[in-house]
Amino acid sequence: MPKVVTNDNPYLPHMGTIREIIQETPNIKTFRIVLDDPEEMAAFRFEPGQVGQLSVFGVGESTFVINSPPTRREYLQFSVMKTGEVTRALHRLSEGDPIGVRAPLGNSFPVDELKGKDILFVGGGIGMAPLRTLLLTMADRREEFGDITVIYGARSPQDLCYRYEFDEWKAAGVNLILTVDREFPGWEERVGFVPTVLAEEAPSPFNRVAITCGPPIMIKFVLAGLKELGYEDDQILTTLERRMKCGIGLCGRCNIGDTYVCVDGPVFSNTQLRRMVSEL
Amino acid sequence: MEQAFFLADAELQEALAGLSAQADVWVPASDARKPGLVRFRRFQPGLTVRLDARSLVSAKEVLFPRSETLLRFTKEKDLSVPAGHRIHLDDARTVRPVVVFGCRPCDARGFLTFDPVFTKGPYRDPYYSERREKTTFVSLVCRDADAACFCSAVGSGPADPEGSDAQLIPVDGGYVLRPVTERGAALLEPIGRTAAPEQIREAQDVLDQVGRETVGEGSLTTLAEAFRARFQDPAFWHAHIDKCLSCGLCTFVCPTCYCFTITDEARGLNGERIRSWDACMFPHFTLEASGHNPRPSKVERYRNRVGHKFSYFPARYGQVACCGCGRCVRHCPVSVDIRAVVRDLPAQEEAHA
Amino acid sequence: MDTLHAHLEALFDDLELVIGWETGYEPLRPTPAFLRSREDLSRLVWNPLCAPNLSVYLPGILKDAKETGKKIGVCLKGCDSRSLGALVQEGFVERERLYVVGLPCPGTVDPEALAEARKSSAPVTHVSFRDGLLAITSRDGTEEIELERVLARRCRRCRHPNPLHADVILGDPVPPRRTEPSFSDVDAVEAMSLEERRAYWEEELSRCLRCYACRNACPLCVCRDRCLAESRTPKWTTQRDGVRDKFLFHMIHALHLAGRCTECGECERVCPVGIPVALFKEKMARIALELWDYQAGTDPAATPPLQTFDPSETGI
Ligand SMILES: Cc1cc2nc3c(=O)[nH]c(=O)nc-3n(C[C@H](O)[C@H](O)[C@H](O)COP(=O)(O)OP(=O)(O)OC[C@H]3O[C@@H](n4cnc5c(N)ncnc54)[C@H](O)[C@@H]3O)c2cc1C
Ligand code: SF4
Ligand code: SF4
Ligand code: SF4
Ligand code: SF4
Ligand code: FES
Repeated sequence: MPKVVTNDNPYLPHMGTIREIIQETPNIKTFRIVLDDPEEMAAFRFEPGQVGQLSVFGVGESTFVINSPPTRREYLQFSVMKTGEVTRALHRLSEGDPIGVRAPLGNSFPVDELKGKDILFVGGGIGMAPLRTLLLTMADRREEFGDITVIYGARSPQDLCYRYEFDEWKAAGVNLILTVDREFPGWEERVGFVPTVLAEEAPSPFNRVAITCGPPIMIKFVLAGLKELGYEDDQILTTLERRMKCGIGLCGRCNIGDTYVCVDGPVFSNTQLRRMVSEL
Repeated sequence: MEQAFFLADAELQEALAGLSAQADVWVPASDARKPGLVRFRRFQPGLTVRLDARSLVSAKEVLFPRSETLLRFTKEKDLSVPAGHRIHLDDARTVRPVVVFGCRPCDARGFLTFDPVFTKGPYRDPYYSERREKTTFVSLVCRDADAACFCSAVGSGPADPEGSDAQLIPVDGGYVLRPVTERGAALLEPIGRTAAPEQIREAQDVLDQVGRETVGEGSLTTLAEAFRARFQDPAFWHAHIDKCLSCGLCTFVCPTCYCFTITDEARGLNGERIRSWDACMFPHFTLEASGHNPRPSKVERYRNRVGHKFSYFPARYGQVACCGCGRCVRHCPVSVDIRAVVRDLPAQEEAHA
Repeated sequence: MDTLHAHLEALFDDLELVIGWETGYEPLRPTPAFLRSREDLSRLVWNPLCAPNLSVYLPGILKDAKETGKKIGVCLKGCDSRSLGALVQEGFVERERLYVVGLPCPGTVDPEALAEARKSSAPVTHVSFRDGLLAITSRDGTEEIELERVLARRCRRCRHPNPLHADVILGDPVPPRRTEPSFSDVDAVEAMSLEERRAYWEEELSRCLRCYACRNACPLCVCRDRCLAESRTPKWTTQRDGVRDKFLFHMIHALHLAGRCTECGECERVCPVGIPVALFKEKMARIALELWDYQAGTDPAATPPLQTFDPSETGI
């Protein structure tokens, strides 16, 4: 068998195997992936918020956040919403299938700066994925952080990801507020859009950092809501999305002015966002 | 000029043939069928070498091919794993030494835009970098700037040695070859005979004279701020860009445009992952899976092209990403003139008064 | 020229803007101009160097234009006006929203031929045109060159130099160079043996950069951002740099222009590497002519043949 070339080629994926697939919602699947080389897997380090490029060979690569926390390293977890060519192909894979992984890429949440602070997570739909890695990191290092409140919304109850672990989150002392867009039979949590629930809950900005991720329209109203509640720009973190290819600052497409989302992001503070040219 | 060699016109073919023994030699050349159409081609004996003409497309494809294999993947049967097969990856590549002979100073300088991006990092591109390390540029001192050229306006000039390993200086009966770098000296030694003192003097005169010429008006290197101020002035961008067709021509002929895409081309699980030229002027370039496009029309796209070259790149790498070769101006189907757009950036007060 | 300015001046209050040409970075390169004020009109030029076919802008500009009730003025050469006709036929352009200034066309210049014909290669400072002669001035003096010597290929075969569908024709009609359709360039390629023809296109197309200028300059290529040549789903072409994919792209382009191409030759004019891509479409135009006696864009009321289905048609 020809030898696999493992040099410092940043385009060369590491081979992994899908250990488990979880159908989260009708169009989102979670993949738990283990790198084939046990040494590589053992040595793999990343920070919460960093992303990976998953390869379906013959179809292509796409970017997904590593949504398992660095504190749990049996597997790397990615949640994938089915939207186009590569994500459709990912959804066709089965447990045990080989998959390529280029990771970790991009920057991460400033975990150390968040120590001692109260935290507010505001997530919508698949936007919960990048929040989950940080949330579980904090849950695993619970005593280092203050109050942790999560407002998580989706269109309907069956569109909420990670339902099977909500109890675990709560047990770790997370104040979990769930909401869906409208009434559903059997739904006993909140009803209403995420920004509305945010205004109702009104978590105090005092010594708190808000971290938000979701569809652009939700982000827009959440940012406005946070401002209303008195949050300063540097108390707000978000992750940006741009079409990506290389993920390593070379192919030229993910820029917002002179900022490259793939290497300078995806995590940005609202202060940084305001300094960017307006081309979101 | 300390050390220099002389190459007579009549010896050019022979010298290029000699160089070809050790390297792929790329020269501006025309086809028999289209004498006016000059582009970089791999030298073979008999090729019509055209040092007198500017090439249509830049030399960038020599180091950055229009399409190249990043890796090959193959499906291999393996019953010890659950899927029953593994995927084997192979990124092996061979790199031959390359000589770009007779390009213009702007062509050589164009790669100074690639270098910080592809060879420095945060991630080093091994494909480009490995080739780059083995490439020697011999550029021709340029005496026939046309109306589209503007190298002096971006801090270069028709006799600019930056980016070149050696210079070809036209003199009576041939060329004086002047090494600029050690690599250039090593290349030239075997192909030319030492130039006579009067040839060196003549060459020095040419170099001095061309070095004094200014190609293109003013300076376009300090407009990063002006660009930011213009960013949200739709009237400005419309006035310049309404005529643009949003094709990929300007970026494809440009020696400093390096955007690419990566695609898998395969039959089932056997195939290759390739990288090919892409262009910020194409709508798909930034189209996201959701249908959202942050640069939905040619106005935002062209603004990005200008911004990348004259504002964003300077902010990241401390230099403009344009060598003033004029190709985008010369070959644009509707003569969009990037110089005029950039030059007008600061004129805000006058324009709106 | 003076009549053109005067005519548009007099009318300008009723026009939203005028699309014409102005001097580009060099007098040799007139460039499309979107003239939005009366003062702008002074920039308008019209001569045999005004090559771009301005009808390519019409669907977009009409879509974006505010409903002011004012018309959009546009200057069109003979071949450009056929493109307009086809756009009207296919419903992409509402003729009544336009004011069409038809300019009888002496023919346009092939820049490469001009470069060969000129003795000087110095930047040009002035150009004028009279009695079939181009006078080109640079620091090396003034050279006079016969237009006929440097004519673009499209113009050598032109039979519609006098615009159709115009609101006004400014200038005297010019005698067409051809009165009968001429496909001699297609004939020349078809006369080659199969192997020769293959070698010919392989060599020509090997230069193609897939910059898609030919597609984007074509007034009838209306899919633009949704072109099959770049689609990955369905995937017709790969991103490899081989003739096979380039050929497929050009076949897609040509077939989509069957019975629609108005023979303005823009695709070929804009190609940076000189591929005679218009030949593919001329072949299509010939088939449309022979099969249905149809010339796209000449009759705005006609239905394009491939938009109709007639089982009684013969020859298919
Ligand atoms: C930093 C970052 C983190 C992300 N994390 C997640 C996640 O955890 N879960 C999830 O479901 N989605 C995530 N996305 C979005 C995801 O990358 C796209 O939905 C996905 O690339 C679409 O690929 P496709 O081939 O199915 O779509 P197509 O529309 O067929 O796109 C073709 C190709 O374009 C590129 N592309 C298109 N849209 C995007 C996009 N929005 N972002 C990046 N590249 C794109 C990809 O290379 C893709 O393969 C993330 C995006 C970014 C930028
Ligand atoms: S500027 Fe010219 S070459 Fe560039 S995209 Fe526009 S029309 Fe094409
Ligand atoms: S932007 Fe234009 S002038 Fe500048 S390097 Fe590119 S092609 Fe040449
Ligand atoms: S094809 Fe005819 S109308 Fe068109 S530019 Fe040539 S001569 Fe003029
Ligand atoms: S304009 Fe020429 S190079 Fe560009 S895609 Fe068309 S044929 Fe190819
Ligand atoms: S994804 Fe290629 S530069 Fe960011």
